[in-house]
Amino acid sequence: MSKALLCPCEDVTASEVEHAIAKGYCDIESVKRFTGFGTGMCQGKQCLTAVARFLEDTTKPKPTAAQLMPFTPRPPLFPTELSQWAAASFDPMVAPAGGVPQSLGLTENALKPEGPVPTKAKIVIIGGGIMGLALAWNLAERGETDIVVLERGYLLAGASGRNGGGVRMQWGTPTLIELARRSIDLMDRFARDLGINVWFRRGGYLFLAKSDEVVAKIERAAKLHNAHGVPTQILTADGARDIVPHLTMTGVKAAAWNPRDAVIFPWPFLWGYAHAAQKKGVKVETFTKVIGFEQSDGRLKKVITDRGDIACETVVLAAGAWSPQVASLAGIDLPNEPHRHEICSTEPLKPFLGPLVSVLDSGLYFSQSMRGEIVGGMGDPREPAGMNLGSTQRFLTRYSQALTEQLPQLGRVKILRQWSGPYDVTPDNSPILGRTPGLPNLLHLSGFVGHGFMMAPAVAERMAAWMATGESDELFERFTLGRFAEGRMEREDMIIG
Amino acid sequence: MSHRVRPIDRPVTFELDGESITAQADDTVAVAFVAAGRATLSRSIKYHRPRGPFCFSGACSQCLVRIDGAPNQYACQTEVKPGMRVERQNAFPDASLDVLQATDFVFAKWFNHHEFMAGVPLVEKVMLQVARKLAGLGTLPEKAAPSRASPIVETVPVAIVGGGAAGLSAARRLTERGVGFSLFERERACGGRLLIGSEEGAPAIVVPAGPSIRPGATVVGVFADDGKPFLVALQNERMHFVFYERLLLTNGGQPTLLTFPNNDLPGIFAGRAVSRTIRQHGVVPGERIAVVGEPDEARSLAKLIVASGSKAVAVGGVPERAHGLRSVTAMTVTLGGTSEKHECDAVAVCAPLSPAFELARAAGARVGWDARSRLFTVEADAVGKAAANVWAAGELRGPMSAAAATEQGLVAAEAIATAVKGATP
Repeated sequence: MSKALLCPCEDVTASEVEHAIAKGYCDIESVKRFTGFGTGMCQGKQCLTAVARFLEDTTKPKPTAAQLMPFTPRPPLFPTELSQWAAASFDPMVAPAGGVPQSLGLTENALKPEGPVPTKAKIVIIGGGIMGLALAWNLAERGETDIVVLERGYLLAGASGRNGGGVRMQWGTPTLIELARRSIDLMDRFARDLGINVWFRRGGYLFLAKSDEVVAKIERAAKLHNAHGVPTQILTADGARDIVPHLTMTGVKAAAWNPRDAVIFPWPFLWGYAHAAQKKGVKVETFTKVIGFEQSDGRLKKVITDRGDIACETVVLAAGAWSPQVASLAGIDLPNEPHRHEICSTEPLKPFLGPLVSVLDSGLYFSQSMRGEIVGGMGDPREPAGMNLGSTQRFLTRYSQALTEQLPQLGRVKILRQWSGPYDVTPDNSPILGRTPGLPNLLHLSGFVGHGFMMAPAVAERMAAWMATGESDELFERFTLGRFAEGRMEREDMIIG
Repeated sequence: MSHRVRPIDRPVTFELDGESITAQADDTVAVAFVAAGRATLSRSIKYHRPRGPFCFSGACSQCLVRIDGAPNQYACQTEVKPGMRVERQNAFPDASLDVLQATDFVFAKWFNHHEFMAGVPLVEKVMLQVARKLAGLGTLPEKAAPSRASPIVETVPVAIVGGGAAGLSAARRLTERGVGFSLFERERACGGRLLIGSEEGAPAIVVPAGPSIRPGATVVGVFADDGKPFLVALQNERMHFVFYERLLLTNGGQPTLLTFPNNDLPGIFAGRAVSRTIRQHGVVPGERIAVVGEPDEARSLAKLIVASGSKAVAVGGVPERAHGLRSVTAMTVTLGGTSEKHECDAVAVCAPLSPAFELARAAGARVGWDARSRLFTVEADAVGKAAANVWAAGELRGPMSAAAATEQGLVAAEAIATAVKGATP
């Protein structure tokens, strides 16, 4: 059929980009994500100019030159084999630093919508990531629609747009197991509830353990999982190889396998929640930065943004790893620290890998997306705290070495792009929820240490119920900011990456 | 039908889906494919539309094939070797007759992957299973990679990326000034547009002698792991980490995609791809070639085509629509204010290159939208300075003649030489 292609790699047509523009996605980063243009083998070399020209010709009002920005280019410049990256070496004793590019790539205010924000709202949610948007939709479902969600960039600019999409029930504490189970149920029916495909695929999670210590940990966790209805099994190395035949099992002592865990495509969750919330009257204001608060009598009265002030009754801080920056504007110290987590994606391959595989000892994890790419990462134990969204050669080398050791046939597969996102790390690896001591109308919804995405549907559901009904809920009394001062620490040790 | 200007005198035979094809020894797989008169080399990822090579510079995805058991290899970047096994991908039963092209007809305008069957009980699950089966391009490599030697770590005073008009003139000037450098050129020969373009009156290719000029070395990234920037380059299948004091980017750009219906049909090539196959390989990709787009390039390319024994039509026309089912058979253009349909068996799309700004941006340069050329260009001052210790010259900064690119290379090199000398105690 006659189609005018704007992105031949991903078969994105002019009609599809028109649709994205009509939906309100008219900055290049958003069009990239909503249509998938620029995410194929050429990584934008062929399509970026064509799409920018199309936006200039199609969107009203016509974007200015400053508003037309290329999406942030991601290394490598050309697809490069894992085996090449793996041939380099790195010093595991030295902390990683630097990286390219250092910033988020948002040009200051270039895309700020015209006109002011609403002057008042009952609830202002700061952060238009999965947490904030899921909460907004859940509140709207309960009839509370006088809500403004403030997002500093485009939807998906933060960690919600940067994670690998793994969702698992295999956690180390009853609370997280229960939340994850509920979230995964909600994700499975997300398309029915919110009308957008999220490519939910129940491929299972396969954790490999290479040391006695880790074997003991997965055995302990499996018992807990079984007690909470999660069918985790402990397998031998041979048993694990039956599940993924291409894996080498060098050094593997045991594996934990839950076939009910899954992989999703993170991006449509945000669009789904945002569209549905907007339909119910919630305002989602992108490219809008919070620059301060007005407070009196021990309460926040107004949220001050670069597009005007919003008087409100309640403020929810759901800005992930950026939460401490925002909290400090209200004079509140959060103990969260951002930790860079690097991740990458390969060329798309025909499906061969069912589960998400993770080596708990090293933090390596990888899965195959619905598009066929191998998406994975590997936490760096030396990564220092600090907001750094740069990409490094060191990561590609560490990851490629670990991945090709586990799956040697991937050696000739090429890395297409790498990026990074911030884990929102708290002192006890547990979230910060509920009210602020001394500032009761500032609520917290942050500190999920890299697994916020998979917890969000369930946590937001409970937080909306708690906020709307006022009924007590253990989550928002136990995981409060106050616990650090009171010395009530929680502990979750099934963190990967 | 394509033809060779020169007969094959050094034959190499390789296999395409089990069939033997004879090519000239220096051909890439894509050139050999076009020279053999074939059209469909790949199938697109969603709609299974037939595709053929387009850019011939490793910057699109239209020539991806499986080569000797490794998926998604650029046919245009791989030289033919005797017995090489080339397989077309992502098609059932095969690329010439792919029944999955039905998706192209079912979804006539586009496929709304966000909402298609979303939440429809049962159907949704089937759709997900089908989508999963159809995803991806090539299949997993047959074997593990050969063992790779560890990267060579180098330090150079000046690194130049790109050996075209600007890079070569800069290399000559740095040589004259006695400044040490390494020049990395992705292609097996330096020259860039001077070698493969059609511009008339372009300067001659003058390559400084010596090991500083490194053809066949692809720079795949600028990194700054510990705050100190370095290039990662691949040369002879081996990585090099090149720490530099100063960086000169002269890596030009890639063919620009113009938007019109059927702009992806086999037989439609970038203008510089056509001048490349003719000048570098003696292969003219059609008998009657519509040469559309930017008028100056179209005229000079048309001359080259005619001098090589084929016809050029619709020269400089504004492309409106391509026609054809399996490959291009006609082109509708606007010429002199009227719409004309021209029969043709190939199309050359002439357009200024889209600057390859990725390395520049990683190295700290600013990239902006140039309203006149409607391209993203690297911003630089009069001497080409684009960021601390980074200079840019040539088409990376926007459309310009080969002579202008040559001049920018000289000016930037002079500024770099001055900076190097100034920094030396």
